Amino acid sequence: MNTHVGSWVSHRKWILAAVGFPILVAAWWAFRPEKLWINQKVNEPAPFASSTDPQPLYTGRLEGKAHQTSGRATIYKTPDGKQYLRLTDFSTSNGPDVHVVLARSDEANLTKEIVTGQLDSVELGSLKGNQGDQNYDLPASVDLQKYNAAVIYCERFHAVFGLARLEQF
Amino acid sequence: MVRDIKTVLALAALAFTFGVSVYAQDSMKHEEKAKTLATGSFHGKVHGTSGRATIYQKADGNRVLRLTNFKTSNGPDVHVILIAAKDADDNANFLKSSTERVELGILKGNEGDQNYEIPSGTDLSKFQTVSIYCERFNANFGAAPLEKF
Repeated sequence: MNTHVGSWVSHRKWILAAVGFPILVAAWWAFRPEKLWINQKVNEPAPFASSTDPQPLYTGRLEGKAHQTSGRATIYKTPDGKQYLRLTDFSTSNGPDVHVVLARSDEANLTKEIVTGQLDSVELGSLKGNQGDQNYDLPASVDLQKYNAAVIYCERFHAVFGLARLEQF
Repeated sequence: MVRDIKTVLALAALAFTFGVSVYAQDSMKHEEKAKTLATGSFHGKVHGTSGRATIYQKADGNRVLRLTNFKTSNGPDVHVILIAAKDADDNANFLKSSTERVELGILKGNEGDQNYEIPSGTDLSKFQTVSIYCERFNANFGAAPLEKF
């Protein structure tokens, strides 16, 4: 009797193993759970020689506020350490005393069309043209973590023509 | 009468200021070896995907997708694809089977900078979003909507 029960139990174990093992293998193949802990790092170079070129640091699309504004703002760093803001694909309305400034994207003033009080900003220069590609040199010590928005700003009327929130490139 | 003329002059001056376009044409501060066509940031909550996707056109005309600052979760059978959509929703974890796609290859690594050739003839105005896509489970790990650079 005992031997009969014993063989029945081991028989069932064999069936469990025969069915269970392939299921475990299939589950492992499907989910590859070990990959949760294993990272696969790669580090391919850019598809072109670029060590002597300016590197893009931050970029963002311009959106219109007080006036329709579009295009892209990108901050580059040249190999000698200088930084500049480049507007491309750019268009805004022409106006009096329009400047390019860097400001803080979290500043409440930038959600409005007209700034009340003083805009906390870094001056980059008068807008060279209301259309076309253009470069503006950045002051040496500007904190781009803090001043992370490029703003087309009319000083005379405190009007935010448009702005680009800059993200890490 | 004089006041009227002054008003007209003032209005004309305003119209002139706002109506005339001034073009600027600064060139890049270096010779471009590859043209940047489009770029966008990854978002993906379920599998923590982040980084930037940028499409370059090389001097020979071929286009390359480059991922930088890139990170996603590792997983089985993960591919890089372009999809014909403006974006892929974080919450819509699975791609609709009707979503048109262009295969760029198996994900080379779940971290780090990497390049993928784009098949010639791919219409980038149609395939606007990069998706990190697990083919086995039809899951979108993360997506980067591309905008003109």
